[in-house]
Amino acid sequence: MATRALLAVISASPNRCFISPSRIKIQSLTSSSSSHYYQRQSGKIHRIARSYSSDSDSSVLQPPDVSRLAQTARISLTPDEVEECETKIRRVIDWFGQLQQVDVNSVEPAIRAEMDGGHLREDAPETFENRDSIRASIPSFEDAYLKVPKILNKE
Amino acid sequence: MSTTLLRTFQPNQFSLLGTSLLRRRRSNNFTVRFCGSQTTTTHEAKQSSPTRVAPKNHKSNKLDEILRDYEAVIGIETHVQLSTLTKAFCSCSNNYGSYPNTSICPVCMGLPGALPVLNSKVVEFGVRLGLALNCDLSLKSKFDRKQYFYPDLPKGYQISQFDIPIASGGYVDLDIPLEFGGGHRRFGITRVHMEEDAGKLLHSDTGDYSQAWNLYLNRAGVPLLEIVSEPDMRSGIEAAEYACEMQRIARYLGVSNGNMQEGSLRCDVNISIRPIGQAEFGTKVEIKNLNAFSAISRAIDYEISRQALLYNQGKADQIVTETRLWEEGAQKTVTMRKKEGLADYRYFPEPDLPEVILTKEYVDSIRASLPELPEAKRRRYEATGLGMQDVLFLANDFSVAEYFDAVIGKGAEVKLTANWIMSDIAAYLKNEKLSINDIKLTPHELAELIATIKDGTISGKIGKEILFELLAKGGTVKGMIKAKDLVQITDPVEIEKMVIQVVSENPKQLEQYRSGKTKLQGYFAGQVMKMSKGKANPGLLNKILLEKLNAKD
Repeated sequence: MATRALLAVISASPNRCFISPSRIKIQSLTSSSSSHYYQRQSGKIHRIARSYSSDSDSSVLQPPDVSRLAQTARISLTPDEVEECETKIRRVIDWFGQLQQVDVNSVEPAIRAEMDGGHLREDAPETFENRDSIRASIPSFEDAYLKVPKILNKE
Repeated sequence: MSTTLLRTFQPNQFSLLGTSLLRRRRSNNFTVRFCGSQTTTTHEAKQSSPTRVAPKNHKSNKLDEILRDYEAVIGIETHVQLSTLTKAFCSCSNNYGSYPNTSICPVCMGLPGALPVLNSKVVEFGVRLGLALNCDLSLKSKFDRKQYFYPDLPKGYQISQFDIPIASGGYVDLDIPLEFGGGHRRFGITRVHMEEDAGKLLHSDTGDYSQAWNLYLNRAGVPLLEIVSEPDMRSGIEAAEYACEMQRIARYLGVSNGNMQEGSLRCDVNISIRPIGQAEFGTKVEIKNLNAFSAISRAIDYEISRQALLYNQGKADQIVTETRLWEEGAQKTVTMRKKEGLADYRYFPEPDLPEVILTKEYVDSIRASLPELPEAKRRRYEATGLGMQDVLFLANDFSVAEYFDAVIGKGAEVKLTANWIMSDIAAYLKNEKLSINDIKLTPHELAELIATIKDGTISGKIGKEILFELLAKGGTVKGMIKAKDLVQITDPVEIEKMVIQVVSENPKQLEQYRSGKTKLQGYFAGQVMKMSKGKANPGLLNKILLEKLNAKD
């Protein structure tokens, strides 16, 4: 059950071949920046208001709303599992929360965790050789299409 | 449906909107006025010259009334599918129309372990478009994950740009077509950002799978540029022209073919209305499924009417934030689904992609390589003295503008060149369903043709005749004149000889003319023309003819 819990892991690996764990969710850190609402910034440099760089509320991080997280990630948890996860996730967040104590008032927010910048690829087509095995591994592949169930609502 | 009919069958109305609607039933890719396929341009351009003002029909009167009390606030989100050779984050080929599910690989299929690598062309096109829209570029930008679950999204997230787009804070200048009132407008551009497209879901046609869709993933991962406008537009016409200009710019820059029918250009409209004078915006409604520029215009008109009606009935609270679909058949918008709160996309920076870094040198080199953009062309053509009708026609299509520039570059007179291109050549292109790049008449030869007519070597009529052959088969004007012996006869002695002969061969008509039927002059002129194989100079001919006919004997 614990393995089904959401792990908060920040991947900052510089190595391109490293396979990053797919479930990267730091919900409480990103929940305020996930407001969906692009504010028009004046001037050329965009100052990003991120909860972890604001010092108004530096030591108090929102507790995770695990049931909502599970819902948005389409993972079903029993009430016991919710409680269990809540404690575990909270602990990880608090551990990272130590970063809140750093004074970043005079530091320009970084856009992202730094990797060697600028790995770009040339615009030259290459066919993937093993497309057949991709198609073969799809259970509902039929007559050139993948069959998927109808979904009426994006939510 | 009835409102469509109302518009198309107005007597004596050169309702361009109406005629284009009529045309659309016969052929599917014609859109309003000049936008869309270039073969539409002639016919519409010819038809639109008499009118200067939007025709007042029943529907637009009602709209005018509404617009006295309410102001519509409109913004448009445009998705431009880029014409790169490969997808945004993998080397699968980006090829419209290839066999389903063949352009796939672990990256665009979202298979475990696959990592994205950004296509350099996408950045280049983003910078080009950002500069063309007069935006500020973010020298450092990044990608973010926009997360939601849907069958056409293999990874469960879309790689997009959330808070730091590659370009922002720009504007676009355009001209409203004359038949809708004309005038310059400037609309703000909030931002331009890079992202990837999702796959395509189509209804399955076999009965068995009525509960299923077909998923087509060639499109998943194809690069897009999303352009978000400021809510500066105030009418359907302005919005449609904005969309037209986006297409024009995309084509001028060569970043996309901008075909709405293929889905290379998609527009979603956000519209709200507010009582005039109110500072705060009304409730915003999103409209999707707009497949043509005229649909944009009509959907907005419909939505304005719908919302105004609710306001007037005191039911303004029935206007909710939602997405509505435009139904082309019924000519109205319908609710798609109510938005249950704002979607939580849980944006966070894409950990698998580095920052996008632009150097000043890179940006400058791209800026230097930009072609002359539509706005600059329009202003330049206007300055040569051409009327706005001509200006808008010539600047609409990049290839036509280039051709025109080449011809006047050889010294040909501007107005004459414009006339040739807009009438005879455009008609030919439309009939043969060709683009101006396909014709065999080179700009040099067109300039030559114009010059030889101007200096009187051949008559205008002969010019039109050989034009057809020049368009279809090429060749030189000089060569053709020589081969067919087309040089105009301007020697008065020659002409006099022919006139005398014709007059003497037609004594009966001469009698009739002398007794008052002066219209027969045309008959004599025709006979002389026939005798001279069309080469007699018409002006001289008529002068001499008149002398002879009116002479005492």
